[in-house]
This record gives sequence, C-alpha cells and structure tokens, in this order.
Amino acid sequence: MNISYNWLRELTDTALAPREVAERLTMVGLAVDTVHEAGDDFILEFDITSNRPDCLSHLGVARELSVIGRGRVRLPEAKFASEGSAEQLSAVEIREPVLCPRYAARIVRGVRVAPSPGWLADRLRAIGQRPISNVADITNYVMHEMGQPLHAFDFAKLAEQRIVVRRALKGERLKTLDGVVRELDEEMLMIADAVRPVALAGVMGGEETEATDATRDVLIESAYFNPTSVRRTARSLGLHTEASHRFERGVDFDGVLRAQARVVALICELAGGTATEDAIDVRAQVFESPPPVTLRLSRVKALTGLEVPSDEITRILDALGFILVATNGESESDTARASVNATRVNETATGDAESLAETATATGAPQSALSFTAPTWRVDIEREEDLVEEVARHFGYEKIVDELPAGNVSGGYRAGDARRRAARRALTASGFDEAISFGFIDAEHDGRFELLPDLKSAEGNNGEGDAGGASIDGAESLVSLSNPIIEGVTRMRPTLLPGLLDAVRHNFNQGTRDVRLFEVGRVFAGHAFSNEPSMDGSLPREREALALVLTGGATEEGIAGAARELDFRDLKGALEAVFDTVNLPAPEFVAARVKHLSEGQAALVSVGGRVVGTLGRFAEEVAPSYKFRQTVFVAEVDFSALLAVEELPMRYTPLARFPSVVRDISLLADRRVTFAEMRGVVNMLGLAESRGVELVDVYEGKGVPEGKRSVTLRVEYRSDERTLRDEEVNETHQRIVGALEAECGAQLRG
Amino acid sequence: MSAEDSEHQRQIKAVSEAFEQEFERFARLRAGDVTRLDAAPPAGAEALLRDLSDLRTRHTGRKSALTGLKKLIGRVSAEERAAFGQRVQHLEAEIVEKIDDAERALKESSAAARIERERIDVTLPGRRLRRGHMHPITLVWQRIEDIFVSMGYTVEDGPEIETDFYNFTALNIPAGHPARSPQDTFYTTDGCALRSQTSTVQIHAMQRRHPPLRVIAPGKVFRRDTPDATHNPMFFQVEGLLVDRGITLAHLKGTLTEFLRRMFGPDTRTRFRPSYFPFTEPSAEFDFSCFKCGGVGCRLCKGSGWIELGGSGMVHPNVLRAVDIDTEEFTGFAFGLGIDRMCALLYGLDDIRLLFENDVRFLKQFS
Ligand SMILES: [Zn+2]
Repeated sequence: MNISYNWLRELTDTALAPREVAERLTMVGLAVDTVHEAGDDFILEFDITSNRPDCLSHLGVARELSVIGRGRVRLPEAKFASEGSAEQLSAVEIREPVLCPRYAARIVRGVRVAPSPGWLADRLRAIGQRPISNVADITNYVMHEMGQPLHAFDFAKLAEQRIVVRRALKGERLKTLDGVVRELDEEMLMIADAVRPVALAGVMGGEETEATDATRDVLIESAYFNPTSVRRTARSLGLHTEASHRFERGVDFDGVLRAQARVVALICELAGGTATEDAIDVRAQVFESPPPVTLRLSRVKALTGLEVPSDEITRILDALGFILVATNGESESDTARASVNATRVNETATGDAESLAETATATGAPQSALSFTAPTWRVDIEREEDLVEEVARHFGYEKIVDELPAGNVSGGYRAGDARRRAARRALTASGFDEAISFGFIDAEHDGRFELLPDLKSAEGNNGEGDAGGASIDGAESLVSLSNPIIEGVTRMRPTLLPGLLDAVRHNFNQGTRDVRLFEVGRVFAGHAFSNEPSMDGSLPREREALALVLTGGATEEGIAGAARELDFRDLKGALEAVFDTVNLPAPEFVAARVKHLSEGQAALVSVGGRVVGTLGRFAEEVAPSYKFRQTVFVAEVDFSALLAVEELPMRYTPLARFPSVVRDISLLADRRVTFAEMRGVVNMLGLAESRGVELVDVYEGKGVPEGKRSVTLRVEYRSDERTLRDEEVNETHQRIVGALEAECGAQLRG
Repeated sequence: MSAEDSEHQRQIKAVSEAFEQEFERFARLRAGDVTRLDAAPPAGAEALLRDLSDLRTRHTGRKSALTGLKKLIGRVSAEERAAFGQRVQHLEAEIVEKIDDAERALKESSAAARIERERIDVTLPGRRLRRGHMHPITLVWQRIEDIFVSMGYTVEDGPEIETDFYNFTALNIPAGHPARSPQDTFYTTDGCALRSQTSTVQIHAMQRRHPPLRVIAPGKVFRRDTPDATHNPMFFQVEGLLVDRGITLAHLKGTLTEFLRRMFGPDTRTRFRPSYFPFTEPSAEFDFSCFKCGGVGCRLCKGSGWIELGGSGMVHPNVLRAVDIDTEEFTGFAFGLGIDRMCALLYGLDDIRLLFENDVRFLKQFS
C-alpha cells in the first residue's frame, strides 16, 4: 500500500522527514518496504499485517504517527449544501443481515461528471492509482484517506431507484467495471436494484450502473460487509480489489457515515450538485461493541521485560484511541481520577514496575489493572496480551534487552539422530551427494515402483524371496493432494526413487554422466494399510526412507575419466557401509524380482530376517520418462525400520595368538552358482581351522567357457591353540576343495 | 743406474701405463667436477661404477700386476729396495687415489641419477576416491541443531501431513483465516493439511511434556507457492519454543542474539520489529546486523545494515490454553526461521530453486 508523505502531513503535524517517518513507523509495526521521491512528494510503500486493516489508509497511518510524534490527527471537515431526505428518493433493503450488517446510501443530485481537478488526479497518480473521473476518483480518494471503500451508482440507472442487498440467484450474471461478465453463485452477496445485481458487494461495481458523463444523480454507497463473505466472493472470482482487500480484513463499522459524508462533501465541491440531508442508514444487525479489555500493569513487564511507567501506558493507549472505562474493576465515571491515579503510581514507582504492580495486586491498591475499550476501527484487540503489545510497540521494541533464560533444562537430539548423521557421513564417504526432492510426485508413477514393505498392505511381504506379488498397484493406498501446485503432481511420494531418477535425468541433461545421489526423507501411504495405529487415526502413514542412485564411472577426485563403470556391487557396498556405520547386524541380500528393477539384477535386502528394502539395476522400461542411455542402479530402504533395530554392542575380540595361513582356490563354475552358495558350502563343513572365505576375484570372458565363470576364493586357516602344520592345512584345504567341487559342480583351475 | 734398477723402472712404468690406458675412460671424472659428470649420461653412471670396480680389482687386487710389484719388493737388492719400494708405494697411492676420485665422482653422479629417476611431480592431484557432499540444507540444519542443543533445547519432530487441529486450530488460526485457504495450504483428498509450519511440533511437544520446555523443531514444510528465485512450494524451517516461569520478550531476544552470534559471528546484534502472527502475542519480526558489512550497509542487506530473518513472539495464550498450560503460571516464547533462507544467506545463493534440482555441480560446492 502506498502512502503519500504530503497527504500524511495534511492529516498530522509531523515534523519528521519522510525517511524518518518510514523508520519510526516500521519500528511500531507498520513495515515500510521502500520510500521513493515523486515530484515534491515522497511515497512510502507499506506492507501492513493482516490484523491491522485500520492502517490501510492515510488516516490509519496518521493515527500511528500521531502517537509517535505526540501530535494530533486533523480530519478534513465535511461541509456542503444539502436538501431533502434520502428516504424520499430511495430505499435500502438488506435481506442478508449477517453478510451485510450495515448499509448507508446517500444521494447527490445534479452532479457534472468530468475529469478530476489536477491536485486530485496528481495525488491519486502519486499513490499509483489511475484517475478516471471526478466522482469515481473521489470515492477512491476517500478510501485511501479513510480506509472505507465506497461506490457511486448512477442513480437513474437503478431500477425503481432502490437498493436490495441479497445473494445472487442461480444463473445470474454481472458485467463488472473491468468489462468481464461474471457468473454468480448463490453464496455471493450482491448489491441489486429492484430487478438485477448492480455490484459484487464489497468487491467491484457493475459496468451498467457506473457513473458516466451522462450521469446527473449519484447514489453513494458506504457499508460494512462480512469479511468472510467478501473473501469468499473475491477468491472464487479470482478478483482481488482495493475494496475487497479492506472489507476482507474488516472496516470501521462506525466509520461508514463519516467516510460517506466526506465523499459527498468532495463531490459537491468538485462536481457540483446537492446532497440529501441524510443517508438511508440501515443497520441490519446490532453491532455490539466488544467488551472492555483489562490490562494488569504487571503483565507488561511479565511479557516484555520492559519497565513502562504507568502514565506512559495510559498515554499510549489513550493516543491510540483506547478509552479507559474502569480501574481495578471500578467503573471510570470520572476520567480525571484515572489520570490522578496514574500520576500517583508513577510518583511512587522506584523503577521496578513489576514489584510495584505485584504489591498493588496484593494490597488491592489502585491502578494495578486498567480496563479499556478499543476504538471501533481496531478489530484486532481482544485480550490483555493485545494491549501489552500496543504498549510495548509504542514504548519501543528497541528498548527490549538481551537476556538469556536461566538454564535448567538439558537438551538433546531426536532418537536416532546420531545414526542418521553417521549414515550421511558413510554415504558421502562413499562418494554420494545428498539430494532433496519435492515431497510430491507425478501420479504417472502410480504402480511403477515396489514400495517399502511397511507402506504396502499387511498381506504378502514376509521377508522371503519374491516381493513382486505383494505390492499395491492402485492409487487408493496412496496419499493424494486435492490442490497440487504443479499439474499432475498430485501424489505424496510413496517412494523416493522418482525424485532421484528425476535428478539423474536433470544431471544427464546438464552433461554430467557420473552421478551418485542419496536422499533421506519421508514417504507416505494411505492410513488404510498401516500396520500400527497412527498417533491420530485420520493421518496417513509416514516412514523415513533412504534411497540411493548410482550411475556412470568410478571417478577419482581431480582426475578426468573414470577407472571403471560403477555397478551393482558399488551400490551394495554403499548400502553395507550404512549398515556398518549405524552399527546394525550385517544385511542379507537375496536375489528377487522387484517391479522397478531388471530381472536377474535385483535383490531384497533384509536385516534380522526382516525385509527392509530393494536394490538393483533400474529397469528403464518402467517409465518412458526414464529412458537413459546408461545403466542406473537404485536402492531404497526403510530407514525408520533400520533406526528401530537396536545397535550391536561393541565388544572386543582377542587378537589371534597364532599365525594364520591363507590358501587361494580358483574354481571354474556355472555362472548361476553364487558366491553365497560357495561360501555356504565351506561354512557347512564346520571346520574349526578354516576362519572364513573371502572373494579374491571373479572373471568371465576370454579363456572361460560360455555360461561359466572363474571364481577365486581365499580361505584363512588358523588355530587358537597352536601354529598349524602344513600337512594339517593341506588336509583341511583338500576337504574344502572337494566339497566345492562336489556341491557346486566346480572344477579346480590350474 | 743398474740394470736391475732400470728393469724395475720399466716394470713400474708398464704397470702404470697399463693402468693409465684402462683408466683413461674414467680419467675425465674427478670428484666435485660437476660439469664433467653432467656429460656422463645419468643412467650410465652405475654401469661405469661397476666397470670401475672391476678395474680396481684388476689393478689393485691380489692378482694384479701392482700386487706383483709389491711382492717383488722383498726380493729386490738391499740397496735398491728402499727406492723401489717407495716408487711402488707411490704408484699404488696414485692408482688408488685416481680410482677413488673417479668412484666418488661416479657415486655422486649415480645418486644424482637416482634422484632424477625418482623425482616426482608433486603437483599431480592426490589420489582419493570422489567424496560426496551433504546437502547445504543438512549442513545448516545440523549447525542450528548443534547450537540449540548446547543451549538446552530438545530436538523434536512431528508428521509432515497434519490434521487441521495441529496445523491451524491449536495455533490460533481460526476457520476462514486466509492461511487456511487452499490457495495457500496443500490439502490431501482426505482433508489433511501438509504442515505449513513446524509450529505444529510445538503443540505435540506441549501435549507430551509439561513445562519447563525447550524445544526446537527443524523440518520440512509446504506452502502453495509457485517456484521462483525466492520461493519453493516446499522448504525447511526451524521452530523454537521455550515455556517456563517468568519468560519475557527479553529472553526471546537474548536467545536469538546468542544463536545468531554463534551462527554469524560474535559481533552480531539483533533487532525486533512489531509484527503479527496468529500464534504469538506480542509478536516480533527479528532482524540481525548484516554479517557482510557489519551493519554499515551493503548489497546483501540492501543498504539497511539489517537482514530480516524470521518471526517470533510470546506464545499466544490461546495456544497455551489449547494444551492446558496455565497462562498465569507460565509464559513462553516461540520463533521460526527459514533454513533455506539461512542457506541462501550463508552461501550467497541467488536462486533457491537450485536447492531441490539436485544438480551435482551445485551439490558438490558444499562440505
Ligand atoms: Zn550489509
């Protein structure tokens, strides 16, 4: 909102320079964004908070300024010639008293509609308004002066020369001043004449009844409309106007006639004509003035820490238009007494207002509690704390000192935060950058991805093998937005993978082909499928998920080009590093069919026998938007589930006292014989001296027959009692080789 | 000169000449004679050294002609012996010295050769796996958490999808308030709201525990803003809450000042401006002195010397009452600030859409 400095000066006697005005008003809560020069004037651009509609005018800003400068607000006089009663000419009927508690109509006859005089047009232009004609400009001018939106109808064009305030009828339309034909609905409040709507109440007038050059008589509307009703109409029509902005927040119920008189006076002065002696002022609802609010003086310090002398408290509230109605619950018939009391308290104050006030409360001494009624334009004052804020902001927030609360509480992180941080460190150490994607995804992904077990229905997933059958394809188990901001992006993500795959695509498009990303974030599913009752029965289910994506080369820092292409084992290794770092039992990996992963290149990962996620090569055929030219590997695990698993205790194992012997075995085996099977065969033998099997190398290609691969294993032999002799090692080793040959159909290679 | 004598002379001369002839290829090499050494190809020095060692064996070893001469000394006539012995010794000393000199020169040359061969280019990049990077949001989030935990706050979180009660009603945002409109807040088809501020966590915390309370709630929030350089429909916020006896705006300001000093430096000052939030009364927006210019005014602070950071205030009595806290016994303050905004300030981000694009070139700038 733009405010003219010169205009403010006319209403107040401020001696402050424009920038000082801006600074001081900002510091009482009327934020000035910019100050700029406009001819011989300065324009202050305000950002007024929604609780202060009374400040959406020069008068409102002037009131605050007068409190700062301890001056007065001068309201322009409204003097004009008048004749006859409005009721003889017109009538006002309010059919919706709740939506329109007050409507006043006053008529000016014999006006000459013409361009506004220079000063008026200039002033409107200065605050960014476009001058139209004297009558329209005057209503606009007074709105910016006093905060009350007003409208001028061409009186002759109103059917039967009367006003009906009613809801729109089904199918009714209205062409508004901006030339747009509006479809109306029955919730919208209309200003109508005897037959048709002529204005959207509180939002915009109609084109047909607008004052034009031909207009002779005008009906000036000044009203109070229900804020919620105006907001609804404005929103549903997408029509935000200066008028609706003010009505939505609440105008001064008692200011209706004053603003109207000001308009009438200006029209008589600038456009000629004779006004009616009065207005038809229909108060459809008794507007009860809000009850007084009591301020215990001690509360000012209790809430703000500020020591505000009691006479300063009363001065500020008085200057803001508050009326003292009672002291300590006793009616304030004699206002002089209050000021005497105020002085007395101030004189006895020794600087500690709180102790004084406490004493006052305890002894029932005068002046510990003052009751005020708020001015009618202040729609935001309801309780004691509101008065405290009024006092504090004008006494000065800058006087609030820095103080630290006494420390009597110990702090702490969320459960699992240490492990969350450790997991992030493990992943960055593995070369993964952390991604954050939007919590909502396109509905096109419905049914494409295998969801985490806990987001799926209770049936199915038992932690064994194939997970393909247990997923929920339909959207009914997903959480959907009713008002997405991006078209089609309506699902609260049940998986982090689309977000990461979008990131992969983005990076490919930017020419980056080596991408390793992880994300930790919430995933969602409909509450119908939750396994445990949620905190609130109606809330969807949320789990924290961890997802990884990896593609491109195993790059080194500062080196162009990559040593090799990243593959499944890089992904698996990163996942293992997470398990390791957060001190979980080693995860188990089982080949499986997973909806979004290529067949034969997918696995389930489980811990302690419970499936917690999936990993493998992303199957591009899943989504047309993810047709990549290079292989992409993805993993997703239920991080909430991992954090729920108790950490392994850290226990020391004595170091080996006797040396170990290692022997490598090179085997030629069928490709489908897994490493886990080979290790299993060795472990099944239960040989005390063999201390574990590790992989040295796998090789297939040149020199190895089709369908076979060469696997080199290393077995460590050791005894805890003595140094093993060569023959002993050889004997054990032979048994292992024999078992591998027999059980795995493997041949020893030379 | 006797015949014997001249025979001896001839023998000595022959030994000497035989040596000189073989030594000639080494004769150019003298200890300390660097220019000559440079002439020898560095790799050749070691081969020469081996040759020289052979030469020493041949000319001074047990089977050498020189040793033969030395054995002769005892058989030389008494009158000739001293002179002959002297000459032989002289010859031996000369040969040994020459060989030593050459050997020393060659060893130096060989050492130099090894140094050259093993010389490394220390400017080649260090060998290390590519390291990943935490998201700038995470970095700032963790810093904020660490500061507040050290100040006695407990970190808490709640659901990202909330009921109307937690997101609005309990926060004193009445029905019909613009913040509730579907223009501003995301709703699920079930009528739940994506939380529009982490203040929701305040309510959960106050329901779970009784004051005194110190809580911070960092987390993801959603508002229906179209993405542009300064808006995203999803962002991160930290909400702080302290409820205790005798808490005032001064404690709020002191707490924010302390936090901002640890974040932006010990000279940081804070400023309150009166404002309005439904869940606090009195309310204040807080600014802090610009960390770039120290408050003098620069581009970052748009010349004002102050940077706007967030909203705060004394917890509204309606909020405390909604969770059954006695507003006469307890008061509290709450504040909220944007993690994304802190990121933008700390790292000089001019377009916050980058935060969720996950461009690797962007992400790897933070550590
Ligand atoms: Zn600055």
